[in-house]
Amino acid sequence: MGDKDKLKQVLIVDDEEDILWSLQNNLCNDSLKVDILSASSGEQALEILNKSKQIDLVITDIKMPGISGLDLLIEIKNRYPYTSVIVMTAFPSNEYKREAILKGSLHFLEKPFDINELREMVTLALKEDNMFKGTVAGVGLTDVIQIKALSGVNSALRVKEGNHQGIIYFESGRIVHAICDDLEGEEAFYQIMEFNGGLLDSINVTEMPAHTIEIPVEALLMEGVRRMDEKSAALAIGEETFGNDDKDVDGKEDNAKKEDDMADLKDVLTEFTNIPGVNTACLVGRDGFLLDSIAISGIDTEMIGAIASSGFGASESMGAQLGKGALNMSMIEYKEGPVMLSPVGEDAFLVVVAEKDANLGMIRLKIKKHTSEIVESAAI
Amino acid sequence: MAEGKMLDIAHISFLDMIKVMITMSGAAAAKGTLIRNAINTAEKIREVDYPTLDDFLAAIEDSTNPITQVEGKATHQGEFIFGLAACPFAPSIGNYTEVFEKLPDGYADFTTEFNKPSKVTDMYRVGEGAGVSPFCSVHQPMRSAIAEKIKIGGKKIKIYQLGCKAGSGKKGFADKWLAETGIAQDVVDKVLDNHMCCYYLKIVD
Repeated sequence: MGDKDKLKQVLIVDDEEDILWSLQNNLCNDSLKVDILSASSGEQALEILNKSKQIDLVITDIKMPGISGLDLLIEIKNRYPYTSVIVMTAFPSNEYKREAILKGSLHFLEKPFDINELREMVTLALKEDNMFKGTVAGVGLTDVIQIKALSGVNSALRVKEGNHQGIIYFESGRIVHAICDDLEGEEAFYQIMEFNGGLLDSINVTEMPAHTIEIPVEALLMEGVRRMDEKSAALAIGEETFGNDDKDVDGKEDNAKKEDDMADLKDVLTEFTNIPGVNTACLVGRDGFLLDSIAISGIDTEMIGAIASSGFGASESMGAQLGKGALNMSMIEYKEGPVMLSPVGEDAFLVVVAEKDANLGMIRLKIKKHTSEIVESAAI
Repeated sequence: MAEGKMLDIAHISFLDMIKVMITMSGAAAAKGTLIRNAINTAEKIREVDYPTLDDFLAAIEDSTNPITQVEGKATHQGEFIFGLAACPFAPSIGNYTEVFEKLPDGYADFTTEFNKPSKVTDMYRVGEGAGVSPFCSVHQPMRSAIAEKIKIGGKKIKIYQLGCKAGSGKKGFADKWLAETGIAQDVVDKVLDNHMCCYYLKIVD
C-alpha cells in the first residue's frame, strides 16, 4: 500500500466510555476508510500522538478531567501542526467556542450531533489537511466573525451554504474585503450574513486580493443584523398576506415552527426515534402507565411501560441499597440492542429502545439535552 | 406471633408480596402493578345493562351487581352517593394485624404514592386523598373499572371515589373528585361516620 492509499489515522478522545465506543464503532463501520484510535483522557491522547506521530485527525471532547480538550488542542497545534482537530462539547458556551476557535480549531461540533454531520466533517478535514473546517451548527456566524476580528490576524473565512459560497477577508482583524457569488464588498458581506448555516473554512492568507470594505467590523455586523431583521419582518408580512403558513423561506419559518413544536411531547420523543437505530421512545409514569410514546409497529408500549417500571424501580432500589444515590440512567444490553431507562422529573422515566448498532453516545446526550423539555411538555 | 392465632396464608402472602414489591421496585412500580392487576380482574367481568337505577340498586340488594360481587353491599345514600359498610380487605388486614400486630413497613409510602395525581388515578377517578391504605389502590380502581362494564338504561356510568376510612378511623377525602362532582366534604364525612368507603355514581348522558 502506497502513502496515498494508506489509511488515515483518526484519534477520538472522550472521557465518556460509551461515547468513545459509539464514535469508534460508527466511524469504523463506514466508507471513511480510516483507522480509528481512542483515548479516554487528554494525557492518553498525547501519549498516542507522541508514539504514532502520524495522527491525521483528532476528535476531542472539551470537558475532560486532567488535560482538557482545549489544552489538548493547544498541544496539538504546537507539536503536530498538520493534525486537524474537531472539538466536540456537550457544554455549549461561547467561552469554549471562542477559546477553541482562537486556539486553532474551526472544527466545532455541539453535542448531540448527527453522526452523518461528524462523518462529513471528518471527510472534509481529512481531504484538506491544510485548512480548518467546521460547521456553523452551534456556532453563530456573527460569533465567528467577531472572534476572527478579535484575533487580529490575517486570514479569510469561507462560508458555504448549499450552492452559495462567500469569503470574508480579515487583515489584522479588520474586514477589508468580501465576495459572495457575483457580489463583492459590503453587499457580499451582508449576503453572507443571511446564510442560514453551512460550512466554515478558515483559510490562511498572506495577501489580500482587494480592499473593498472600509467600515469597522462592528458597523458591518450591525448593518448585517438590521438587514436580516428587515428581511425576517418582510417574510412574516408576506406569510400573513398570502396565508402560506407552511412556506419555508430560507428555513426561517421552518426553524420558528420547529421551536414551537418542541413544546409538544411527541416531537421531543421524535428527537430520539430520529437517531438511526432507535425505533421506540416511551415516556412512562413510575407506576408503569404509559404517558406517551413513538414506537414501531409490533411493540406493545403499554406492556413495555409496565415491565420497564419494575426494571426502573429495581435499578433505583439497588442504588439505594448500595448507597449509590439517585439513578441517572440504566442501560440493559441485549443481543439485538440496548434499552435505556432514564428518570424524567419526579414521576416518570424515559424508555429508549435501540438496535445494536445505534449511537449510544447520541442517545445519552439527547436524554441529557431533552429531559427538561419533556418535563415541561408532559407537565410532570 | 401471638399464641393461638391462626394465620390465613393466602392473606399473609398477598400482604407480604406487596411489601416485597415495594422493596424491590419501589412504591410507584408496586402501585402500578396492583392497579393493573385490579383492572385486569375487572376486564373479566361480564357487561350488564340495567334498565333503571332501581334495577341497578336491586342488583346490589340481591348481590348480583358486579360491583357488589367484589366489595359487598353498598347503600345508596341518595343523590347517587353510596356508602360501603365494610372494606373488602378488612378480613385480610384484621387477620394480619391480629397475628403480627402491625402492617408491614412501607405501606404508608405506598398509600402516599397512590394519592399522588397520576394518569391512572385520573382515568379511574380514584386516589387524590381518598386512599387510606395500599388496598385502596386495588379496590378503588377495580370498582371504577368494573363500572365501565355496567350501563343503566343504555347509558354508561362513572364512579368517583369521594372518601375512605381506615381501620383506625382516620378519614381521607378526594378533594379533586369532590370538586368535580360538586359534593360537599361534610356530606361524605357523615357517610363515612357509618361506612368505610364513599363514592359517587354518575350516569353519563
